[in-house]
Amino acid sequence: MAHVDPAQLCFEHVRTRRYIIASYWLVVILAIPLWWKTTSIERLALPASRVHAASRREILFPVTVNLETKDGTDAAAAAQGVKFWLEMDRAVGLASAVDISVTTGNKSSAAYNVVLGRGDREPAVEGRQLYFDMLPEDDQLSWDVSMGRLANTLSKLLMPYSTYAASHLQAQRVMTYSPRYRLAFTLLNEDAASGNAALAWDVRGAIQTHFVPLLDKLSVLHNFTIESQVQFHAPLAFETQPIQHEDSEAHGLTHEDLTVFVNSAEWTLSSSASNDPVMHFVLFIPSAKNSPLHILDHEGSVHPSNAFLLPQWGGIVLLNPTHPPSSTLNPLPRLSAADLDPVFNTFAYQLLTLLGVPGLPRDVQPVRGPAGTSQEPFTEWELDALLRRRAVENVRGSSETLESIVRLVNQIEGMPVGPDVKDDVQDALEALNEVHEASRFSPIAALKSSARALTLSSRAFFNPGMLALLYFPAEHNYAVYTPLFASVAAPLVGAVLREIAAWRRARRAAREQANAPAQQTIAEPARGQ
Amino acid sequence: MLDFLRLPQLLLLLCFGLAYTHVYAEPVAEFFGRQGSSHTNNWAVLVCASRYWFNYRHMSNALGMYRTVKRLGIPDSNIILMLADDAACNPRNKFPGCVYANSGRHLDLYGDNIEVDYRGNEVTVENFLRVLTGRVEPSVPRSKRLLTDDSSNVFIFMTGHGGNEFLKFQDNEEISAFDIADAIAQMWEKKRYHELFFMIDTCQANTMYSKFYSPNVLATGSSVIHENSYSYENDYDLGVAVIDSYTHYILEFMEGINKTSQTTMEDLFNYYDPEKIHSHPGVRSDLFGRPLRDALVTDFFGGVAQAEILPPLHNPRTSPISPEDVTSVLEASPLRAEENASGVLTSPGTLDPQAFLAALGDISQSEVGGTSARKLRTWASSLGVLVLVGWVASRRK
Repeated sequence: MAHVDPAQLCFEHVRTRRYIIASYWLVVILAIPLWWKTTSIERLALPASRVHAASRREILFPVTVNLETKDGTDAAAAAQGVKFWLEMDRAVGLASAVDISVTTGNKSSAAYNVVLGRGDREPAVEGRQLYFDMLPEDDQLSWDVSMGRLANTLSKLLMPYSTYAASHLQAQRVMTYSPRYRLAFTLLNEDAASGNAALAWDVRGAIQTHFVPLLDKLSVLHNFTIESQVQFHAPLAFETQPIQHEDSEAHGLTHEDLTVFVNSAEWTLSSSASNDPVMHFVLFIPSAKNSPLHILDHEGSVHPSNAFLLPQWGGIVLLNPTHPPSSTLNPLPRLSAADLDPVFNTFAYQLLTLLGVPGLPRDVQPVRGPAGTSQEPFTEWELDALLRRRAVENVRGSSETLESIVRLVNQIEGMPVGPDVKDDVQDALEALNEVHEASRFSPIAALKSSARALTLSSRAFFNPGMLALLYFPAEHNYAVYTPLFASVAAPLVGAVLREIAAWRRARRAAREQANAPAQQTIAEPARGQ
Repeated sequence: MLDFLRLPQLLLLLCFGLAYTHVYAEPVAEFFGRQGSSHTNNWAVLVCASRYWFNYRHMSNALGMYRTVKRLGIPDSNIILMLADDAACNPRNKFPGCVYANSGRHLDLYGDNIEVDYRGNEVTVENFLRVLTGRVEPSVPRSKRLLTDDSSNVFIFMTGHGGNEFLKFQDNEEISAFDIADAIAQMWEKKRYHELFFMIDTCQANTMYSKFYSPNVLATGSSVIHENSYSYENDYDLGVAVIDSYTHYILEFMEGINKTSQTTMEDLFNYYDPEKIHSHPGVRSDLFGRPLRDALVTDFFGGVAQAEILPPLHNPRTSPISPEDVTSVLEASPLRAEENASGVLTSPGTLDPQAFLAALGDISQSEVGGTSARKLRTWASSLGVLVLVGWVASRRK
């Protein structure tokens, strides 16, 4: 077979070879944008300056209180006096988030109304109205004392949280705000087989009487879902203390026992149907062995109360059936609405405590209706204070979350920021603006917007797409890329360099060839010299 | 002028006011003085990052911790258990459905009441980080979420095969110390914990918490850098090691704790004996805000210990509890003199503490050497590539 000169092969033509090499480089260069796109993460710019501005902005609720006098007392002077004391409160830093202005004579435009009288009755509230009695004496000192007391009462009613010395204790007890809660009612028999038990309860009726009015009033703040169950076997995880009470055998729970009362390993107290926070309300009926069961105080004697509260968790009521274990009513087939009245009263009270309804100051009473009971579960003053407090809380929580998103995105470089996160952040900022707008006229609107801001900012923070890339040190990058790129780059770069060298050699050779005859002609005369 | 006239009355009232607040403040101060930790709920994230039969001991580590926190009062709904879960029903398991942590097989850790939240292939780095940061898909059920808030104490326990600043997940991927540190930082930013206790049992475990930078974090690990963690004992019927040494001694200590125990974290750390554990456990408390002798073991391993007795309701319409009505009940943690919490606790034992500290110091040393070595390596490899290119170019000249 004839030997073929490699230079004569079609693909060994210089031009073809260069096309081939160029095509490789073309692929590499065209692939670079694709590689860049697929390996870089999307990090949209967040409105950082707006976030910082929002977090510096304090929310302020302007509140107008109208003073009204019945007996010709100078209302304007009273307004002046109250204002003075409120200014004092502000000066010592007690006032927060509420800007109280006192007016006289325009009852219709003011949010709250104070009716001043003379006498020594306790202050009383009804709706958004306060009945306040000034001291009957007519000298300057009693006037000042009355004004001081009125200002004090007003600030306690309008800002119950900032005037509490124990607001931290309060904060620890109150559930964190959530637009939705689940209330789980459980009738828990320690051991129904032991005889001491209730097999059913009229929970529907009890909730209707004791909870529905409450929940209706609270519906501007939260949505509630209610679930209930009856359990027949729920053992305690500790031994009760045997005690003597009213000349008979009884059992006691010490303070320590209360802290470990809930046997979470064996009791299932709520379904895990949703992600809403759950408030537990447990009616516990001890077994025959452990009854009657009482709470003990520090000295070890029986505490008059039969209920306790676990902060941010719920409430527990102990119920000792009154009939003897031998009675035919044991186990009790059904707890009637009448049996449940005191229990659900306690539950309702626990619910208000857990939700942070402030309660009236000690010396203020609600105006009683003809039947001796107040018409409403709690007053408008308390509701408004709660609305304002929750709005302040939500605004703070939301702006802190937004700030932390901005901070984390700056700090962690591998954290992606997608368009949905950016939208949520922007919407949350809008909602925060709305809170400030709404705080001027309606605490309810302010709360609604603040809840939206909180939900949106949390959703932005918890966006599943925000999960940062795993930490990938530079060494790992080299380790991944070098085995691939070094081996690919060596022939590619090498081929280019060789081609350039070949091209330069060829060019020099061509130039020399072109110059060669001329050199010969020049050389000849020189030789002739 | 008006103000001037009022001054004496003002002072009078101010005095009255001060006396009033004083009366208020006293029980409150007493209340808070007795208080160790002001959390209201406890959560635990227990991760066994290994799978396959021969890693039986890692599963029993995690299950041992699970039993302990459950016994001490953390409900299943607050425990996120991540487990490969291929030991109990493994065909090679001579005792089907059981996992034992000792060769005598006294206690079945698997039992009949167990809730594994992330199982098998779900135990991934991504899922772990999603649980911590809360960045889960909306469809993820409640039992797989860490629904903590700013009053939650969180206990994180990890076990598996690891090395310098990494922990392997199921022979498939790794999580680095930086990733965990960043995840905890994000938890702190979103107020997802009040205090956090991180415990890890793996080789070179102490490197895993060396990168933490968030406040209120207490961390401990089983071994220093360049040191292995060993298993405690074999079961010859099962043919595998049943538990790791470090976890074994932690569980042994926990046996003596009940829900109302006053044992402190300092007691736990003092219980470490490098001689018995065969490695040098470390403690990092520089980020932790309280002295260790005030932090109870049950602050992290137990349910919460606070209850308030309600005043009896004579009148259906009373205002909700005001502070002075409440008889507050707390686990009384005796106040002790504040101690300067040092970053590193030396473990007791006959081993030379100097060597131990030197081994710890090694972390920073190797870091310093690490940067220059890394640069050197980078240049050397770049040079290598250039030489390679040059060789290809110059060949066949």
